[in-house]
Amino acid sequence: MTDELSWRGNWKARLYERVRERGYDSLTAFAEARPTASWVALAEELGPDDVAGVQVYDGLVAEAVRSKQVTRLVRGHLVRELWGSLPDGWPAMLDDDNRFRVAKALGLWSGIVPETHEDRVRLAGDALLANPPPAGWRPLGPDDELLRRLLPDDEA
Amino acid sequence: MKGSLGRVESALSRISTRRPGFDGRGINGEVFMRFLRLGSKQVTWIHGTLGSATVMAGAASELENPEMELGVLRMTGPRLQAAMFGTLLLATWVDFLQLTDALLRECFICSFEKQFVDLNRVRGLVETPLSDLASQDPNRVEAAALAMPELMGALTREFNAIHSDGRAAMEEGGKVLVAVRVLEMVTLISSLKMSLPRLPPAAPATLGVGLAMSSGGVMAGSRIVVSAEWVELMRRLVQAGVISLPAVSAAVRIHGGQVMMAQAHQDLPEGVRDALGDSPEVRGMRVTGKAGAGMSDAPKHHVLPKEHREWFEQRGFKGDMDIDQFCVRLEQAHHEAIHGGGNWTLGRVWPGEWNRMLMKTLRDAEARAGRMLTRNQVLDIVAERMQFYKVPIVFTKGRSR
Repeated sequence: MTDELSWRGNWKARLYERVRERGYDSLTAFAEARPTASWVALAEELGPDDVAGVQVYDGLVAEAVRSKQVTRLVRGHLVRELWGSLPDGWPAMLDDDNRFRVAKALGLWSGIVPETHEDRVRLAGDALLANPPPAGWRPLGPDDELLRRLLPDDEA
Repeated sequence: MKGSLGRVESALSRISTRRPGFDGRGINGEVFMRFLRLGSKQVTWIHGTLGSATVMAGAASELENPEMELGVLRMTGPRLQAAMFGTLLLATWVDFLQLTDALLRECFICSFEKQFVDLNRVRGLVETPLSDLASQDPNRVEAAALAMPELMGALTREFNAIHSDGRAAMEEGGKVLVAVRVLEMVTLISSLKMSLPRLPPAAPATLGVGLAMSSGGVMAGSRIVVSAEWVELMRRLVQAGVISLPAVSAAVRIHGGQVMMAQAHQDLPEGVRDALGDSPEVRGMRVTGKAGAGMSDAPKHHVLPKEHREWFEQRGFKGDMDIDQFCVRLEQAHHEAIHGGGNWTLGRVWPGEWNRMLMKTLRDAEARAGRMLTRNQVLDIVAERMQFYKVPIVFTKGRSR
């Protein structure tokens, strides 16, 4: 398996090279052009043999911190997890299977959220479960109305 | 495999419980007891190994993530190989026990000491391969499997030598008819005749009869060496990367009688190899080590953190599916990277460390689910994280300490 190549050499430089090769001047621009793809899918596109999803995410967090857009990134992350675990949108009924799918999406989201946003993410998750969105809800990106209400931009 | 193991077990139990011969001579006498015990020890681990392979295959079939399903299914590979060759070697050992038992009982002229020395020498040949097969270390299992044809050749020569020495002694002693008949009976009814082809004393370097594929199975001339069903089963296992093609080839060659030293490194004919699942992809698996997690020397790491063993045990990771089964081999750079070392600029802002990240993800998901996660659900989430960190879902067994 060629996965070991992901960790050889200067992977950050490699990552940015691939982004520029595709005509984007930032990882964020590249990622926002694919708002529902998973981090793994983005990595596959940039380098199926030597780019890992976690590297893409780390780069995006770095850029978001610099441009003070972390909350937006966090909203966008939830979008990607929802598309991964709930392909038909928010379930009409929370049976055992659906309950797990929702839990999995929320867990994958909060599991790697930047520390600065841990509390906000937890409250947002609580709110989603307390007042569930309409059945079939599938946000298309970080500008989704419901998501903006749950996690408003408020960075200085 | 269960069938042949069963037959070996009954043969072993029969010779263990026979009434002692005249003067206490018999394989179940005190002096030879250790050789019997070697046999029973093997039965125990082979049963255990087959049992865990069955549990894992069952667990794999319940998983949703296809890569994780394959990862868990491939965990059965080393166990199946170990059981297959373990049974073969054990059956051969039991052949020797039966032969020695017959000689002790029927051949009064045969020296007690000589039987002991002969059997002990054979023990020296089989003991290490047997413990390699029992070790559950994929590297050792594979190495032992590939060395089997040569070993079987050596054992065949030993068996024939002991057999003919015994016969010569009996002829000398004049009790030819009865004793020889008993001896022939023993060797004829031994449970895996096919494992010890009766080569004439001056055996040529090659047998001259090649193996070929037919609708009935793999043939040596007009004899069916292994059935078509067995070939089909092996083909599916080989193509799924569960069992290695060289190991299967070794088994076929042994059953086909191609066990002379000169043939030790010969390959099977193309038609037979294709039937067993050979393909560029399968050959590729061999080179990159994809088919067996144990193919490289990189250090092993627990995917499911050791310090939370109990947490995982409570969610079904125990026995054959305990966390030690879910280790991966990672090169140093990869391992350091996922444990928070090596180049993360956001170490403080975001916990990039595998153990903490995984446990946080699992606990968060469990809190949201409102109930304890099942083993399958845990594996589902773990699969996502492994893919996120580009850790290949190829498991090997690690140490519990």
